[in-house]
Amino acid sequence: MAVASAPNSEMARFPLVIALGALAAAGAAVVLAERFYRELEVRLAGAILDVITTSGVYVAPDRESVYFGLSSATPFGLRMTPECSSAFLLLPLLVVTMAMLYFRPANAKRLFFSLGISAVVVVLVNQLRILTIVGLVHEYGTDEGYYWGHTLLGSMVSVFGGAVSLVLFVWLATRKKKA
Amino acid sequence: MSVKVLLAITQAFALTMSVAFLVYVVVIVVPYLRRKPAPVGDPADFTWHFFVPCRDEQTVIRETVRYLRTTFRKAHVWVVDDDSDDRTARVVRMLWRRHGGYDPYLHLVPRVRPEARTGKGDALNAAYRALNDWMGPEATRDDVVVVVVDADGRPAPNCLEVCAADHLFGDAEIGAVQLDVWMSNAGTPPPSRNPVGRWFGLKLAQLQDLEFRTAIAAIQTSRGFTGTISMGGNGQFTRLTALDSIAGPDEQPWRGSLLEDFELGVHLLTEGWRTGFTPDSHVAQEGLYSLRRFLVQRTRWGQGTMQCARYLRRIWDSPHVSTLGAAEMMYYLAQPWLQLLGSLLYPIPFILLIASTAGDPAQMWTWFTGGAWILFAIYGSFGLLPFLVWGPIYQLKCLRSKNILRGIGMGFAYAAYIYTFYVTSWRALFRLVRGRNGWAKTRRNTEQAAGVKVALDA
Repeated sequence: MAVASAPNSEMARFPLVIALGALAAAGAAVVLAERFYRELEVRLAGAILDVITTSGVYVAPDRESVYFGLSSATPFGLRMTPECSSAFLLLPLLVVTMAMLYFRPANAKRLFFSLGISAVVVVLVNQLRILTIVGLVHEYGTDEGYYWGHTLLGSMVSVFGGAVSLVLFVWLATRKKKA
Repeated sequence: MSVKVLLAITQAFALTMSVAFLVYVVVIVVPYLRRKPAPVGDPADFTWHFFVPCRDEQTVIRETVRYLRTTFRKAHVWVVDDDSDDRTARVVRMLWRRHGGYDPYLHLVPRVRPEARTGKGDALNAAYRALNDWMGPEATRDDVVVVVVDADGRPAPNCLEVCAADHLFGDAEIGAVQLDVWMSNAGTPPPSRNPVGRWFGLKLAQLQDLEFRTAIAAIQTSRGFTGTISMGGNGQFTRLTALDSIAGPDEQPWRGSLLEDFELGVHLLTEGWRTGFTPDSHVAQEGLYSLRRFLVQRTRWGQGTMQCARYLRRIWDSPHVSTLGAAEMMYYLAQPWLQLLGSLLYPIPFILLIASTAGDPAQMWTWFTGGAWILFAIYGSFGLLPFLVWGPIYQLKCLRSKNILRGIGMGFAYAAYIYTFYVTSWRALFRLVRGRNGWAKTRRNTEQAAGVKVALDA
């Protein structure tokens, strides 16, 4: 008969309620502190842009905005709205992690690891989306660049990035242990 | 919490659900398209018993029994008459007495109310007990296979040799095998005088054929990797010893949910048996012509899936089901619930759009033509593509036709067909909440609708 990952003694030892509570608290924190999260996102975007561009970057955390191309002819600012933030994309991952943890607590370590990696991918994908917009604004100007960067390519990056993070989560969380 | 945050949360869940489904479809399409036919085995290595549960099936049972007895001469046919109101039992008795003698391969299992009409699972359990009595306690059971066939079912003539193959029942670990399901009337329009009704009925039957031969076959093929191939209600082959292992002291291998076939698969998998699926053979059944009957059937299936959520704990606790397998089954069982959630989430952006348009039509038009239409095109494509793709696949792979345009048309029709599940999931939920858990047997095409119910409750 087929043999799979059997529940073991770790299941009994693991404080399931605490783990589930921590995940639920993380979800609540993301929702309640979403503005702070967006501030962090624009700070991160500013730091990355500071490294890869030379035309000046300014971050306005109180407005959740990052400005770039300051010394160029077309300085531009992007505001991180709740819809643009990666904050809420973490919620479905948290929900799935909670469900899988609830049913098979023995996989806790692996699930938290998968969640962590996938969450990092979600955050990075959103940074990639911002960089795509910045790159296109730089290349094609504010109107044309923002139009294609925000509307089309940005959405594509979100979808494919979301797909990558989901596949990564499922793969990491469910792959069989090596014998 | 502001409206913007609420909208962002719904958007995040909607995006994740859409992307998850898109990824799922990509993952199942590839192995489905790459699969090659497998070698067959010798059916003489096994003894085959067809179980045919019947509740008011006089319109179809005669031809079904004749077909089974002439196509599979060495196989036994067990017709369970679930206290039919029509002449089902009489038809079977007439077939039993033929050529001046009795057909030793045909068996009638009569059931009487109040024990009868309590569900398909109970009817199949009655056949299982009758088979046990007939075989006796000393009989060898390892090489016995039970085949569940609907009263209008037509298993393909090669099904026994396909199922006897080394990778299926030739492998002692395989407890059950599910055949591919085709619609026998996918090329036959209903006998309606109204040309629109004839066209619609035919399309509906063709879409059911498309669904089973492409999307469901692909799901089942990919489940070979997760070890979670599920059983269907028609063309369901199960090793008798596998049934024995889950039957319990009451001799009831089939349980009482509306999705007793899926339930059987869950019990077999968690007991440690492996299950198989083969598209190398098929069972043909009648596709429904009537939208009303179709919606009733899918409501029953949706409700059955909801009922089976109670098996989540059993699935996850089983040492025989891998984490990937359990996750796959959980995703399957979550489908009706996700459809309910989706039907609440997906309209929100459209409602907001309508509200904004009503407030300032000129600005909204500028916004839409200024680029927002691309967003609609993208999300529309993601909503349609996972369904659209099956049309051309059906046309090329199943019908061996190069008419891609017709395939694309079928793909669009299939998308519309799938969206009816948003309706049936809600109906299923209401039935569940109201405690209406009876066996709703959908009436067949040949049964007249006038003055009778579309479906029968227990």
